[in-house]
Amino acid sequence: MKLKHQADISTNQSHPVEKWRERYSRLYRKFIFLTMVCSVLPLFLVGWGIYAYYTGFSKIRIMDYFRTQAEHHREVIELFLRERTSDLQLALFTHSPDFLQQPGNLRRVFSVMNQSSSFFTDLGLIDDKGNHLAYIGPYDLIDKNYSQTFWFKEVMKKGIYISDMFTGFRNAPHFIIAVTRIEGNRKWILRASVDTEYFRSLVENVKMGSTGEVYLSNIDGILQTTPRFGGKIMEKAPLPKGFFDQESGIGILEPDKNGWKSFPRQLVAYTWIENPRWKLVVKQNYDEAFKEVNHANRAALIFLHFSLLIIIVVTVISTRYIIKIIKRRDEETDILNKQLVQVGKLASLGELSAGVAHEINNPLAIILTESQVMRDTIDFAPNMDNEVKNELHASLSQTEAQVHRCSIITQNLLKYSRRSKSRIDMVNLNASLEEVIRLMDGKAKGMGIQFALDLEKNIPPFRSDPSMLQQVFINLINNSIDAHEGKPYGMISIGTRTDRQRDGVEVNIGDTGSGISPENLEKIFDPFFTTKEVGKGTGLGLSITYSTIKRMGGDISVRSTVGKGTQFKIFLPFNPPDDVYENHEELTSPALTNNIRS
Amino acid sequence: MKRPVILIVDDEEAFANNLVKLMSKRGYDIVTVYNGFDAVNMVGEKEFDVVILDMKMPGMDGIATLREIKKKAPLVEVVILTGHGSIESGIEGMQLGAFDFLMKPVSIDDLQEKVSEAYLRKQIQRERS
Repeated sequence: MKLKHQADISTNQSHPVEKWRERYSRLYRKFIFLTMVCSVLPLFLVGWGIYAYYTGFSKIRIMDYFRTQAEHHREVIELFLRERTSDLQLALFTHSPDFLQQPGNLRRVFSVMNQSSSFFTDLGLIDDKGNHLAYIGPYDLIDKNYSQTFWFKEVMKKGIYISDMFTGFRNAPHFIIAVTRIEGNRKWILRASVDTEYFRSLVENVKMGSTGEVYLSNIDGILQTTPRFGGKIMEKAPLPKGFFDQESGIGILEPDKNGWKSFPRQLVAYTWIENPRWKLVVKQNYDEAFKEVNHANRAALIFLHFSLLIIIVVTVISTRYIIKIIKRRDEETDILNKQLVQVGKLASLGELSAGVAHEINNPLAIILTESQVMRDTIDFAPNMDNEVKNELHASLSQTEAQVHRCSIITQNLLKYSRRSKSRIDMVNLNASLEEVIRLMDGKAKGMGIQFALDLEKNIPPFRSDPSMLQQVFINLINNSIDAHEGKPYGMISIGTRTDRQRDGVEVNIGDTGSGISPENLEKIFDPFFTTKEVGKGTGLGLSITYSTIKRMGGDISVRSTVGKGTQFKIFLPFNPPDDVYENHEELTSPALTNNIRS
Repeated sequence: MKRPVILIVDDEEAFANNLVKLMSKRGYDIVTVYNGFDAVNMVGEKEFDVVILDMKMPGMDGIATLREIKKKAPLVEVVILTGHGSIESGIEGMQLGAFDFLMKPVSIDDLQEKVSEAYLRKQIQRERS
């Protein structure tokens, strides 16, 4: 409770408070803004930058992988077709057509070709007229003439031919490989149907996740294998035209474009097989293809935004805390500044009043001796009327009384400016108070004022200046009594209470008097401030009280309501600062004490 | 009986002159000077019982004067007069051997009492020596 009367004053001035509040909110916004700029924004940018870069990077990697997959499958298929073609060529060129025509020989060749795996379903030797010379297979095709079939025409032209899937005479999707042998002007053709099941398993059994698929289609977009999803072998492939213009490529099929509505977005890689002209398509739902990347990215983004949120929350909380500390510091500084101003004011006034007191003492001394000289003159005057003598003496008494009054003022001034003596002794606070009350009781009763005491028992005696302390109480009680002027009755309450926390004692002196207005409340501790009539008060009582209590290491605060009364609260420490008294203890010479009392 | 001989040193001439009038009537022989320098000279010329010395004087101040007086006449008793503002110098004076000090404004009765106490001590000390 440092100088509470000053704190009370500050609340009366709402102007600066508003300004300060604005200042704090500005500071608050500035702090938040700076933190955002310095931490949140960079983190945000870096986070999103890494996210964007990493996403692009992973997509490229995944698409590369997809393309590689397509190439790999193409190689597998091309290898397979090349091997089968070689099988046929080997058979046709190592055996003469006559040999192959003889019963049983073609069967032996067929079983050798199918030794490791049943690659072929049937095998036939055909002459240049399109007639079967020999045939091994499950179908009854020996009498068929192929001269009008598309593949016969092609193979006669090219020498080697691998067909697209077709149904042919047997009414089941299959494709054939045919090779020719030319001897003179004669031609033989060895033709084999590739085992459709085996071939399809090469392509269709590739599994990529739950939505991946691999299939083949020919140049007209007719499916050569059955995709896992949508479409069947020999049907039209459900893919938009114009997508496979390049030799190989990769792209993303948007569902909304190209009439591609029935599927979600898909990642598609394709590559063309040289012979036959088939395209190999590797296809997977976009979301599944990028599932891992998206998953990782989502986790990263969630983490990023969570971090941002935490930073923001921590920033807000810590900024609030900092602002609170700054605010408290400011308030403390403010109070301290006010105290310093007050102390400075009192100190300079102290210097001034000491000077004034000293300068006035000299003329007062002369006046006093002058009046004494006159008294002597009157006493020794031989023929003077007694009445005149008495009147002159009365007049001189008045002069001396006024000089005495002046001398009391100068004494008070010097007390206020600490140039006076101080005597330290053990003080029993309650006894001291009771003594003062006894002294003041007469005056109080005369004005219809009662004392209400609430003194805590067993307050230990403590080191203090007993006479100064009594002077303080006399001053305060005197003021309280005077505050009742014009009221028929009143009450002065006096309480004592030990304050264990601060290791001292609290004295409360309250009255039911006229109270002090807020503007006067600011000035009551200033020297020479009084509301009493001229000649009735010096205006030094509360200044002396204030400086005395400060000197004792205590403090004093006041609260007042006009018309209701005033409460003074004094705190006195049990252990006053030693240095305060040391300077004054040597002044306690008996001569000095006598003089001050006189 | 011999009247006590007193030297009054004060730059306030009115005050000093009033003291002369008052103290003379009360049975003292008084000499007055208005500055420290004269006071020191006077003490050298004549023997005084008590010196009433003002502390605050222009030129040679009370403390310096006291020091010089005590050098020239160690037995003389000095009563210091001081304003409240210079208690410290009063105490310094007592440390230098002054009998006591009084504060202005002083009533003639107090001054007379103090001077007679000082005179008494001077007598006692003179008898001893």
